[in-house]
Amino acid sequence: MLRDVTLKTIYDQRRGLLAWCVSLALLVAMYVAVWPSIRGQPSMAQFLDSMPKAFRALFAMSGADMSSPAGYVQIELLSFLGPMILLGYAIAAGSSAVAGEEERHTLDMLLANPVSRARVVLEKGAAMVVGVLLLAAVTAAALLFEGPLGDLRLPAGNVVAAMVHLALLALVFGSLALALGASTGRLGLSRAVPAVAAVAAYVVNGLGPLVSWLEPLQKFSPFYQYGGHDPLRTGVSTSGILVAVLTVLAFAGLAVAGFRRRDIAA
Amino acid sequence: MDASTGPVVSTRHLTKAYGRLLALRQLDLRVEPGEVFGYLGPNGAGKTTTFRLLMGLLRPTSGRASVLGLDTWRASVAVHRQVGYLPGEPVLYDRLTGHQHVEYFRSLRSMPEDKYARALAERLDLELGKPARSLSKGNRQKLALVLALMSRPRLLVLDEPTSGLDPMVQREFHALLREHTAEGGSVLLSSHVLAEVQRVADRIGVLRAGRLVAVERLEDLRRKSLHHLTARFAEPVAAADLHLPDDVRDVVVDGDTVTCSAPQSALDGVLKGVSRWPVVDFGCVEAELEETFLAYYGEETGRVA
Repeated sequence: MLRDVTLKTIYDQRRGLLAWCVSLALLVAMYVAVWPSIRGQPSMAQFLDSMPKAFRALFAMSGADMSSPAGYVQIELLSFLGPMILLGYAIAAGSSAVAGEEERHTLDMLLANPVSRARVVLEKGAAMVVGVLLLAAVTAAALLFEGPLGDLRLPAGNVVAAMVHLALLALVFGSLALALGASTGRLGLSRAVPAVAAVAAYVVNGLGPLVSWLEPLQKFSPFYQYGGHDPLRTGVSTSGILVAVLTVLAFAGLAVAGFRRRDIAA
Repeated sequence: MDASTGPVVSTRHLTKAYGRLLALRQLDLRVEPGEVFGYLGPNGAGKTTTFRLLMGLLRPTSGRASVLGLDTWRASVAVHRQVGYLPGEPVLYDRLTGHQHVEYFRSLRSMPEDKYARALAERLDLELGKPARSLSKGNRQKLALVLALMSRPRLLVLDEPTSGLDPMVQREFHALLREHTAEGGSVLLSSHVLAEVQRVADRIGVLRAGRLVAVERLEDLRRKSLHHLTARFAEPVAAADLHLPDDVRDVVVDGDTVTCSAPQSALDGVLKGVSRWPVVDFGCVEAELEETFLAYYGEETGRVA
């Protein structure tokens, strides 16, 4: 199990990952259980319509329609809570990859082995990718297998597409945390900056259509690549995936470059 | 430089600055094959900085360092294949057991088996089954030592290796070092007390405020080892009348009694000077090596112990 840095990192996270998987499955189960009582409620739609436009734009990705399974999952899970959970995991994993070990002072002994710094940071990044994909896969499985129990039926392809986009969204901010942690060795900074950046990107994407000076920025928000095309209804967006993957690779490159050139804190 | 015959460690004007603070200045250090080099100095003198530069954890501000002919910054992976490193304050993975530490680092070193690691643990009387967080400080030190030694590297870089080890384990550790050098391996180990390294070191280097102020063979230091002399004469004498050699120190005359400290090489001169007067009593006691060391480097190095 401890054959390389990736496996060791996953081994370290095993309990946390298991807890997150169980939580996500339970969360989806709860939404599924509530669904039958919500879908017949015209008052829910009225309530959403009566919300201030700006507020609604932040919570609902496209349109606010609680009467269809896709709209319901969109609002309840995909617009806020889902991203928050996956981003939380990814930012924590990315920041602690290098900066966490450095602040705990275990990095000296690890790097005294014949492993390059590039390998350490990339293998740790790979562990984060595995973790994010696992959480996304569990969420997809929960939606597809628990959903029908409450008559919450979604096309499998679109669920997978939405989860692929969700995983990439988390990895964009997770790899930013990885790059910051690898370049500075500071855990607090490499957690705080991506968290703030994620909130900013979320707001820019949500308010972009309503605020004229934000509108040109909207397309640059990773949240736009994630949900702007409404993946639960339309499937994958090739350009969205491409932009996200390139962003992740760029941050991974910065992480390697930043980690190779600096001193390790004593 | 040929890695098989050249020095194992070689630094040239190696300098490390943190901002405006010079932690290490123009260090020229050589460690030869089969040699144990004791690196001495008070805390904060730059010992740990030197070791972390050699391990490629720090980048030299100027100058260069090489291990077995390989640059410690640019070729750090190749260097690490040949080096076992014990940090000054080793921090292990709290939740991993000794066995898991061995397994992890063995995989990273592509070592096929852990027989030697187990043998080392047994010799140091270390239980490998417990998680690191439940180990005492001494046992954590032992585990870190096992991890440094288990790949049978050509060079051991050990920062304060005996801290926290009880005397029995220290003896076993010294035996391990002798076996290591008997097979041609080299050791660079640091301490802030001479007493800790004098049993194993072939040479010692003294570091003070980032500068290497002295390098000496231990046998040369022993040759200089101070002797405390006391002579009582039948009548009071003046120090000048004894014609003591120049390198005699701390001469005190108290009536008919004279005390002084003299290196081994000056003993003959002292005896000849003293014997010109009627001697009633005479005593000679060899000082601890630590005291000799402080007498020669004490003013420069501050208190080393």
